[in-house]
Amino acid sequence: MTDKEPTDTGQDALNARLEQANKQLLQSEKLAAIGQLAAGVAHEINNPVGYVYSNLQTLENYLNDLFRLTDAIDTAASLEDLRQIRHNIDYNYLREDLKDLLSESREGIERVKTIISAMKDFSHIEEEEFKQADLHRGIETTLNVVNNELKYKAEVVRDFGELPHVECIASQINQVIMNLLVNAAHAIEDFGKITIRTRHQGDSVTLEVEDTGKGIASEHLNRIFEPFFTTKGIGKGTGLGLSLSFNIIKKHNGEIEVHSEPGQGTRFRITLPVTQPEPLQHTQQNQDTENPA
Amino acid sequence: MIRIQLVDDEPNVLNSLRRLLRRQDWQVDAFSDVEEALEALLQHEYAVILSDYKMPMADGVTYLKFAKQKQPGAIRLVLSGHGDSESMVKAINQAEVFRYLTKPWDDHEVVAAISSAVELYSLQKENQRLRKENDAQRAMIKAREEELLRLEADNPGITRVRRDADGSVLLDDDAGSSD
Ligand SMILES: Nc1ncnc2c1ncn2[C@@H]1O[C@H](COP(=O)(O)OP(=O)(O)OP(=O)(O)O)[C@@H](O)[C@H]1O
Ligand SMILES: [Mg+2]
Repeated sequence: MTDKEPTDTGQDALNARLEQANKQLLQSEKLAAIGQLAAGVAHEINNPVGYVYSNLQTLENYLNDLFRLTDAIDTAASLEDLRQIRHNIDYNYLREDLKDLLSESREGIERVKTIISAMKDFSHIEEEEFKQADLHRGIETTLNVVNNELKYKAEVVRDFGELPHVECIASQINQVIMNLLVNAAHAIEDFGKITIRTRHQGDSVTLEVEDTGKGIASEHLNRIFEPFFTTKGIGKGTGLGLSLSFNIIKKHNGEIEVHSEPGQGTRFRITLPVTQPEPLQHTQQNQDTENPA
Repeated sequence: MIRIQLVDDEPNVLNSLRRLLRRQDWQVDAFSDVEEALEALLQHEYAVILSDYKMPMADGVTYLKFAKQKQPGAIRLVLSGHGDSESMVKAINQAEVFRYLTKPWDDHEVVAAISSAVELYSLQKENQRLRKENDAQRAMIKAREEELLRLEADNPGITRVRRDADGSVLLDDDAGSSD
């Protein structure tokens, strides 16, 4: 027993370092992912900001025209003059278009709001706690963030079952979903379909991301979860997406499986326990108390 | 009338641009569907085509490249939400765009860019017209010269008229052969 002690603490230290390295990897992958998405998100935001901004300038012109009419109430010699002004400013058009202008602008602002709150939900890097979370909400958040990557590649189909709240670190599960969605979009050459399926059975839930992309060659199937394994060109993929997803799911006491048919498509399935088994919470606490020492 | 084509997959963008261009004296055709925009190219002559960069099915550069084949005279512009240099280089080198504008845009800048494009289009058109006219005139002059040469060959001296100090025509039989 006693001569085993040193190796055990050595093992512990090694594990702790590995855990630390994993955490850093997670962090940097997340930053890389956010950086990669920033360009896409900028595009998503630039569109609504573009037309809302332009609409506001048009609104100013409309108001100036309308004021010309109301100001003329005092100065016009006759009702006929007023009518003439009303005609000149194309009053009927203004009236009609104002409604559209306002509702379209509101739509644009709503869009920006949604994207911003999705980004906020998404980037809670420090939030490392297991909490009850609504997976569907996480999926929607993630969809909002990756919308720009997806919408030109695929129709997204939501096949949602009834889900209970699941005990998880929501931001990390979002990250896994994002990796799967982005991979799915990358696998589709022209335009395809991505199905997100959720189910609840007993004390676990499953979440599937299925695509109609090019599939994974059988000789690659057992390598895709390896860190740095990628078939994407230099600068396109780091090969960390799935390996980190694998780690996250493992940390959640879940499972991630893949089924793929080259030329047909790929389906990733994640299984997560609805509630985390007690021991995990225990080791979490252990780590917390270990750190200050 | 000058026709402008706008292409963007987001209808709200098209609507705001249409509002912006309403006061100009242009016929504005807006398309959120690339295929419909393509079809319109076969029906109308456009002075200016302004396209979004990123669209489903075909990106703006691909569309503008196609438009350039169909209507080489139309001036091409991009209005993009991507400020990245890669898309810009592609737009310039492959689609030979006149201006690359970014979203969110400045209204004045967009109107100014389209106005310059319209001006360029009109200039090119005018240039073309003048060139045609010029060619026609040259052809006419050449035909005349040939006719004169033929006459001269048949009747030496007939194409040359000699005048005295007062400008009167000299009817001298030797005149033709003297020099
Ligand atoms: N849905 C999919 N369809 C086809 N191939 C896939 C799919 N998902 C993953 N792959 C394959 O697995 C490889 C590893 O994926 P992973 O997400 O780990 O890295 P990556 O996507 O290459 O890079 P990144 O770090 O940017 O995610 C990919 O390069 C690709 O070959
Ligand atoms: Mg990936």
